[in-house]
Amino acid sequence: MSDLISVKNYNFTYAGSNKPALIDINFNVKKGEIVVIAGPSGCGKSTLLRSLIGLIPHMYAGKSSGSVIVDGLDVSQTPISELAKRIGFVFQNPENQIFMFSVERDIAFGLENLQLPRDEIQNRVIWACELLGIIDLMKRAPYELSDGQKQRVALAGVIAMKPSILILDEPTSLLDPYTAQELINLVKKLHDELGITILIVEHRLDLLLNIASRIVIMNEGKIVLDGKLDEVLTKKEAMLIGVGIPTIVRLQNLLKEGGLDLGRISLTVVELANKLNVILRDNI
Amino acid sequence: MYWVASGFLFQRVDSIIQRLDPRVRLSLSLMLFILALISDSAIKITITMLTIISLALISNIAKRMARTTLFSATFAILIFLINLLLDYGLITSLVLALRFIAIITSTSFFFLTTSPDELECVMKWFRLPQDIIFAFVTAVRFVPVLMMDALQIMDAQRSRGLELDKGRFYKRIKNLIPILVPLVISAVIRSSELAEAMEVRAYGATKKPTSLYVLKMSNKDKFVMIMSIILFIPTIYLYLFAC
Repeated sequence: MSDLISVKNYNFTYAGSNKPALIDINFNVKKGEIVVIAGPSGCGKSTLLRSLIGLIPHMYAGKSSGSVIVDGLDVSQTPISELAKRIGFVFQNPENQIFMFSVERDIAFGLENLQLPRDEIQNRVIWACELLGIIDLMKRAPYELSDGQKQRVALAGVIAMKPSILILDEPTSLLDPYTAQELINLVKKLHDELGITILIVEHRLDLLLNIASRIVIMNEGKIVLDGKLDEVLTKKEAMLIGVGIPTIVRLQNLLKEGGLDLGRISLTVVELANKLNVILRDNI
Repeated sequence: MYWVASGFLFQRVDSIIQRLDPRVRLSLSLMLFILALISDSAIKITITMLTIISLALISNIAKRMARTTLFSATFAILIFLINLLLDYGLITSLVLALRFIAIITSTSFFFLTTSPDELECVMKWFRLPQDIIFAFVTAVRFVPVLMMDALQIMDAQRSRGLELDKGRFYKRIKNLIPILVPLVISAVIRSSELAEAMEVRAYGATKKPTSLYVLKMSNKDKFVMIMSIILFIPTIYLYLFAC
């Protein structure tokens, strides 16, 4: 499979800053992957995401070197509006992504800017609302929605533009655990039904264990670890950087240190419980 | 304070009036406004006020209209008192004060019956530049959000000992600084986030975006429009020359 995103030897320093925000980033994403990007605050995760959609360098000034190619387009040479057709970007705070007075109108916002005909806009709005389960909210105003609903609306507004890549920048940070899980399930559904490639920055790794195919850990502007979740999360470096290692992984790490090696790391509670059951039954 | 913040939120109310094309409502509002302007006698202002009140009642906005009028009532009282002191007589002073209220309510009739979405459609219909329309839309959209921000900042500063309701006038004004500074900063941060979100949804890709909502005059709309004009012209004539 070809690379949908290809970042080569990329460096970026914000204007007015001496410290580079991104240092020698080499990063490829294949079509259909779900990649989690984690790392402590200020490690360059958001800067990397903004470089993929063209907000850097088009909106934020700074010094950059290397190349960022998304879906065959050189980001530095392509206007953001062109990139927006290929990449959907959902931000942390849903309140600041909803501009219009009704949900349906807000979902139509991007489509109107792309000058789609009215019938097409109507069809896509309904399609996106059905997909995200917000068809009953279509006529509501933003202030009549809960945070979870707002984040769904923001997601719908992006999905309606039918992008091939979906980027989410800490989408659950303002949501309670239950709503956060619901949102992540929706993201998984979008991936399965639309075959969309997903990049997600998230601190609560527990939520993503079952769905992510790969994890990238960043620290101080660099990519430090990159690989499958069970491999990366058991490494010492991951713990030292201060990434919130999921409880289920920590448990298995501790068991291993105590002498009980369960083999490949289990990422779901059910899988781990089954393994432990077998071992305990054999020993009793 | 939360009560004031909620006053800025548009509430969708349904009635025959709200189902009309917003341009018809705009023209009705304009006609009422002109009538209010030229109502210079007790009879005229009574007719104008009755028309406004009955339209407000039909469109289910009478309560909200009364609430918005409360703010202008103080000015109306002031107008009444000044004119009374200047020896214009009780009736004339009353007419002038009522005329002020009629002017305010006739314009608020349009804004209370029209959703911001419809307002945006009307602005588009007037072919205003996209950036201006969008600036207006976001301003209205974020009024309640900024209000909530302000209330949160006030609570936060109060919990740290800031006394907003005490002291003389000058002290009270000075006390607002710890509220305004964080509020402006948070608004600036919000606006930059908003700009990012707009960019990634292709804002500015075209000068003329298409629209999900399109204004269309139905036969009912046309009928109301023509009837109101037919009624309006002789009324204007009577107001100006007959009485």
